[in-house]
Amino acid sequence: MTNSVAAKLKESLGKSKVLASEAELFCYSYDATPLVSFRPEAVVKAENEEDIQRTLELAASEGIPVTARGSGTGLSGGSVAVDGGIVLLTTGMNRILEVDADDLSITVEPGVVTSTIHNTVEALGLFYPPDPGSMKVSTIGGNVAENAGGLRGLKYGITGDYVLSLDTYLIDGSKVRYGTKCVKDVAGYNITKFLVGTEGTIGIFSRIVLKLVPKPKAKKTFLALYDNIIDACRTVSAIISTKVIPSTLELMDRVTINCVEDYSGIGLPRDVDALLLIETDGHPAVVEEEGAIIDSACKNNRARTLRMAQSPQEADELFTARRMALSALARAKPTTILEDITVPRPAIPEMMACITEVSAKFNIKIGTFGHAGDGNMHPTCLTDERDPDEIRRVHEAYEVIFDKAISLGGTISGEHGTGYAKSKYLPAMVGPKAIEVMKRIKAAFDPENRLNPGKIFPREAR
Amino acid sequence: MASGIDPEKISRSFAALDIHDYGDVLQCMRCGLCLPSCPTYRTDGVETETPRGRVAMIKGVIDGRLEANEEFIEHIYDCLDCRNCQTVCPAGVKAGELVLEARNRIEENRPQPVIKKFMLNYAILSQKRLAKFMPPLRIYQRAGLQSVVRRFDILKLISEDLRLMEALLPPLPSRPLSDQIPEEIPARGREKGRVGFFLGCAMNLIFGDVSRASIDNITRAGYRVIIPKEVQCCGTPNIAEGERKVYREMARNTMRLFQDRSVDAIVTDCAACGAELKTYREIFRKDPVISNIAEEFSSKVRDISEFLDSAIDSSVKFGSRPLKVSFHDPCHLRHAQKLIIPQRNLLRRIPGLDYRELPDEGQCCGSAGIYNITHRQRSMKILEAKIESIDRTRAELVISSNPGCLMQLMYGKRQHQKSWNVCHISEFVNESLKLGENV
Repeated sequence: MTNSVAAKLKESLGKSKVLASEAELFCYSYDATPLVSFRPEAVVKAENEEDIQRTLELAASEGIPVTARGSGTGLSGGSVAVDGGIVLLTTGMNRILEVDADDLSITVEPGVVTSTIHNTVEALGLFYPPDPGSMKVSTIGGNVAENAGGLRGLKYGITGDYVLSLDTYLIDGSKVRYGTKCVKDVAGYNITKFLVGTEGTIGIFSRIVLKLVPKPKAKKTFLALYDNIIDACRTVSAIISTKVIPSTLELMDRVTINCVEDYSGIGLPRDVDALLLIETDGHPAVVEEEGAIIDSACKNNRARTLRMAQSPQEADELFTARRMALSALARAKPTTILEDITVPRPAIPEMMACITEVSAKFNIKIGTFGHAGDGNMHPTCLTDERDPDEIRRVHEAYEVIFDKAISLGGTISGEHGTGYAKSKYLPAMVGPKAIEVMKRIKAAFDPENRLNPGKIFPREAR
Repeated sequence: MASGIDPEKISRSFAALDIHDYGDVLQCMRCGLCLPSCPTYRTDGVETETPRGRVAMIKGVIDGRLEANEEFIEHIYDCLDCRNCQTVCPAGVKAGELVLEARNRIEENRPQPVIKKFMLNYAILSQKRLAKFMPPLRIYQRAGLQSVVRRFDILKLISEDLRLMEALLPPLPSRPLSDQIPEEIPARGREKGRVGFFLGCAMNLIFGDVSRASIDNITRAGYRVIIPKEVQCCGTPNIAEGERKVYREMARNTMRLFQDRSVDAIVTDCAACGAELKTYREIFRKDPVISNIAEEFSSKVRDISEFLDSAIDSSVKFGSRPLKVSFHDPCHLRHAQKLIIPQRNLLRRIPGLDYRELPDEGQCCGSAGIYNITHRQRSMKILEAKIESIDRTRAELVISSNPGCLMQLMYGKRQHQKSWNVCHISEFVNESLKLGENV
């Protein structure tokens, strides 16, 4: 197969920035989404804005799709080129351009790894709260494109709440700067906020300005253990209803706890039905007061034990263990398929009961963990892709779970995005009119549908 | 094809990977958590040079979706076998070991170059044979030839690889250590037990003084040391290059040499040897004749730090070494043997020592057996990052416990004119114990 696209890209950008061998294309055919694999025609490793521009211009003259990609840790297939074309890697654009400690902002290129931002600003007493599970690998460009969440979402919000300005390349290779470093900016449409979470279907970011906050002075970390997962879910609702917003309120069920303990060996109890990882942060006096409220909420809802982390290391260990949950679940069975439903917090016990029921009804092993504090749960089916019957049951189980989440006033995706994997569920979620509006917006930016096609909108509905 | 590679033949051998290995391949859920820890992802920044990518490619070959062509083989050989990916993988995917499995299947199905056959099937079988290479090299170093060659950079005219090979070699001893010591050395003071000492090739031939210190440390801990002289190579180079027949032969011989010697432990001061010797139990697990012997053998193997940290009791005194010190973990110690604590514990017992952790601890130094020769440019990039992290600690001395790491770090020190020194943990501990004795 002669690859003329790759040849032209090499001519325009230089050989070292274009990958197009068989193995290279194979390795860019996937991200972290199970069962999704499509090979691009070429991969461009952009090192600067000019590379992005030239790639888009060449794609325009060839009439082929362009799909942006960071570290490839996405869980909805957002960075997989389902219609082929060019994969545009931004990992080579990984410079921190400015930390403005006086005005509390940081300006970065899209390929900067999220935890690099944390380390950089925390050394200066500042704080960038969004902390998706993959933060040590994921790029900020991907986080903005997917509007990634994380463990601190309930108190501090998610990626989009921190984006101040975006330099964005449009499909024709032109660039626009939306937003400023100002906290207030209502000049014209708020395109900045709109671009967040568009999953690479509207534009490609080349420069990102993020808002920072002061680093909290104190924190307290609790581990609450439960003999019944429903009690853990009730605790979550109880804490929120007492008007305390912890900085983290995470749930892990028995299956997840055991897989995580298999890997980390930090001494999580294997015989409990669920645990909550709770953290409160801020001024020491407030932390003290909230800690007491959390304490009684746990005990009132039949927590078996409640333990406070004795050192920052112990707290770190617990958080790291929690971030490993999804990958650790992959130990149990060959294939791991997770979902990302989110429901209003009073509905968490009912949602959890539904997941347990579905697991039994379809005879599927499900491990559930998630950001219970913001209602965002990750029921994860542990299965085997070589067993088509079981895979069919997995999909049936998820349909029931999605229907339930929607009927409770929730959503099919809290933080992983619609992407390729969930596009067919979107119409049921938002309705035909909303789909039509979204398609009109998409067409205004990308009339030829060449920017990350095959995402968000279900294929049959196009 | 000129290279004599038959991708279909290789693919067929991959398809026959047994179900256990296949399960490991499938268990990779491609989360990418391995990416930042992988030295080749750090240098190259592309998916083909990641554990996730290698696992995906191997799976692709098994499923018939990727051809096992020359490019595939290249990526499989770009891995340094540092196993950092295995340390960080929450799903328990053994990406590093899968790569070795893939290499074995590749090598069994492609023609072998003569020089490689000579080294892996012949030279390596006997340390005496290997020792024959040493005198000419030593003459070269001692007769002033080396300084002329280095001053005028003569080898650069021939080949960069050759130049590096030359530059990596430290001053060579006149004879291998095995020619200089008895087969049994008694314990100092009351004998607490018997230890078999495995004399690795590189230690015996190049770092004889280090092993002499290791043995002395063991006797100071109260153990009689038995040193079988006829040991062969542990097999690490063979496994790394996909060779397994000679490997098994050598392993059997080694296990035989330590059998019936009533030793409580088998100690080695080479991290790579230690990792390999501990693996024999896995390699022979399905062999009904020898599985018990291999199990017993591997269960006795201890790295020198692992052994000394528990064997040296409070009656043995350490002398003060007021130095700023860092420890560079050999990958075969930290990732393959999962040993992180003992070497640090041992160092912290030395009075006056100012221990400083290397930033980015657990990263490979780029030595990786002969990787620095076969993949010179990438290896040098990895080394530069290591040097940078050493510099940041402001350590005066970098300690390690693997001959490959020692040569690589010593080369880095010379090349970049660093003021810090490099030594093996046994030498350092030995000096401290000798000082402690006089207190």
